[in-house]
Amino acid sequence: MTFTALLIKELRLRLRRERFVWLIIVYLLVMGLLGFGFLQRANAFSGGYQGYLLSQIGAQLYALLSFIQLFLIVFIAPAFTATAINGEKERQTFDLLLCSKLSAFSLLAGKLIAGLVNALLLIAASIPLFSLVFFFGGVSPAQVFSTLVIFVMTAVVVGTFGLFCSTLLRRTTVSTAAAYIFCALWLFAYPVISILTLGSSLPSNSRWYIWIQWLNAWNPISALNSAVSSGQGGVGSFYLFRLHLAPWVAFTLVSLMVTVILFLLSIVFFKPDPAGRFLPWLRYLGEKSEQS
Amino acid sequence: MIKIQHIYKRYRSVHALEDLSLEIPQGAIFGLIGPNGAGKTTLLRILGALIPPTTGQVWFGNEEVTQSPTTIQRKIGYMPDFFGVYPDLTSEEYLEFYAGIHGISRRKRSNVVADLLELVDLTSKRDALVETLSRGMQQRLCLARALIHDPDVLLLDEPASGLDPRARVEFRELLRTLQGMGKTVVISSHILLELAEICSDIAIIRAGQLVMAGNVEQVTHSLGGGNQIEVRVLERATDAKQLLKEMAEISNLLNENEDGEVIQAEFSGDNQALHRILAELMAHDIPVVSFAPRRAVDRLEEVYMSITEGASAL
Repeated sequence: MTFTALLIKELRLRLRRERFVWLIIVYLLVMGLLGFGFLQRANAFSGGYQGYLLSQIGAQLYALLSFIQLFLIVFIAPAFTATAINGEKERQTFDLLLCSKLSAFSLLAGKLIAGLVNALLLIAASIPLFSLVFFFGGVSPAQVFSTLVIFVMTAVVVGTFGLFCSTLLRRTTVSTAAAYIFCALWLFAYPVISILTLGSSLPSNSRWYIWIQWLNAWNPISALNSAVSSGQGGVGSFYLFRLHLAPWVAFTLVSLMVTVILFLLSIVFFKPDPAGRFLPWLRYLGEKSEQS
Repeated sequence: MIKIQHIYKRYRSVHALEDLSLEIPQGAIFGLIGPNGAGKTTLLRILGALIPPTTGQVWFGNEEVTQSPTTIQRKIGYMPDFFGVYPDLTSEEYLEFYAGIHGISRRKRSNVVADLLELVDLTSKRDALVETLSRGMQQRLCLARALIHDPDVLLLDEPASGLDPRARVEFRELLRTLQGMGKTVVISSHILLELAEICSDIAIIRAGQLVMAGNVEQVTHSLGGGNQIEVRVLERATDAKQLLKEMAEISNLLNENEDGEVIQAEFSGDNQALHRILAELMAHDIPVVSFAPRRAVDRLEEVYMSITEGASAL
């Protein structure tokens, strides 16, 4: 009951703001204009849409729209949750929430879901644009499903990290900046590392190689690249958890693990003076080490 | 009854509260008075189980705050110094949200909200966005929010700051209504006159330490002596002083050795005693120009200023 009340309030507050309507409009305009530009260019190169090219154009348009969507989600989603908790503290409403029957779990889950609903609304609003691709063909339902899962999981990871930053950091500007830095690292760490290690042949059982594999499995660009190219580009499969997994499955599993860890950490840091709660434990450890 | 026993609160090197002990009677309107930075907000947050004291205990009846913070939080309604509102919600939605997170069932929620809006006289503003309400209305709305789960104790942090005189009077009336409903109200302010008229008991805090606590009359008597009168005469000031000194009702002449036509004296007793003093002066043909009794409560501001003089904010 408390969770529902919080969710309703959050959705009311977020969806009532005029800026959310503008966000959807700008979001669709950016995607639509870039897609339109691509079609114009393809038309100019092929001298009119020839039958044998249509499916290629469809697949390329789908890939383009998918990457634009991914970058837009990563760019926009942190803003939905990065001020969720410290924003309440700045508004001085946090104490009032603590005095209620809301548990830390309910409060954080409510905030996260409300933030994700915004991101999911953007994804849903873009579906008509994506459906243009079906005029051209070249995209399978499995591809559509896997890219959709990648979008949702990307929004979930980014949203949860934003929430974590908002519980950890006092100031909203700092937490928002930290969330965006994380997003940039998340997107570009693997491509940068793979460029740096290009040419060096790491043995497949070395620790570095395994870390880079995990990083690749958790990279949304790699996962999306594999999903939209349908095995003809990117990585074919990952060997994780002693299983050969499709990139989008590996990405989803690693993202879920990270989400759970970040959410649990958010619960730990949620209440006032989290460091203070660990002090007796740290003192105890200090005394133990002195005795030994 | 709320018992505060030897609490200390430290924020790194800052001592916000030092060895503070206090008893707040049930059903009282209890005023916490002190200059800015005296530790009033810290004390209210400890009472609300929002922060633990560094050492010491706070008892609500038989329950200690740090041992059962959740139980205590169910019993209190807290109103911070900054109202804490969501400007994009309507008054009704705002209260419904808090009713929801306090576990009030959906069926009862609308009745509770309607009753509270009526109590704080905001029924006509139920569909108005909170941001469009005046500061006084927002404050009443926040008081309604603090009452949403029918708490036994209300903790109000500087509730009247920034309100116009009319809103202050309305707020005072509202507090009296709540006292009539059996609520214990703990209210903090740095403006003494704001509290003097509504509080049954007060505690004066300076730099984290308790200076004095008790009934308003008792505190003033303890700190600044009894009631006073100020008599202005046209002439024969020496005769008037001598006459007053001999009266049983006058306990002390405050400016006995000063020259001038104004005589200040402490007196004990009620209006009958005042009447006897004036009648005696008139009977001896002392040309009295003005005769101004000053009750202890009226002098509370002076007492407060003298004891908090030089108190540095934290």
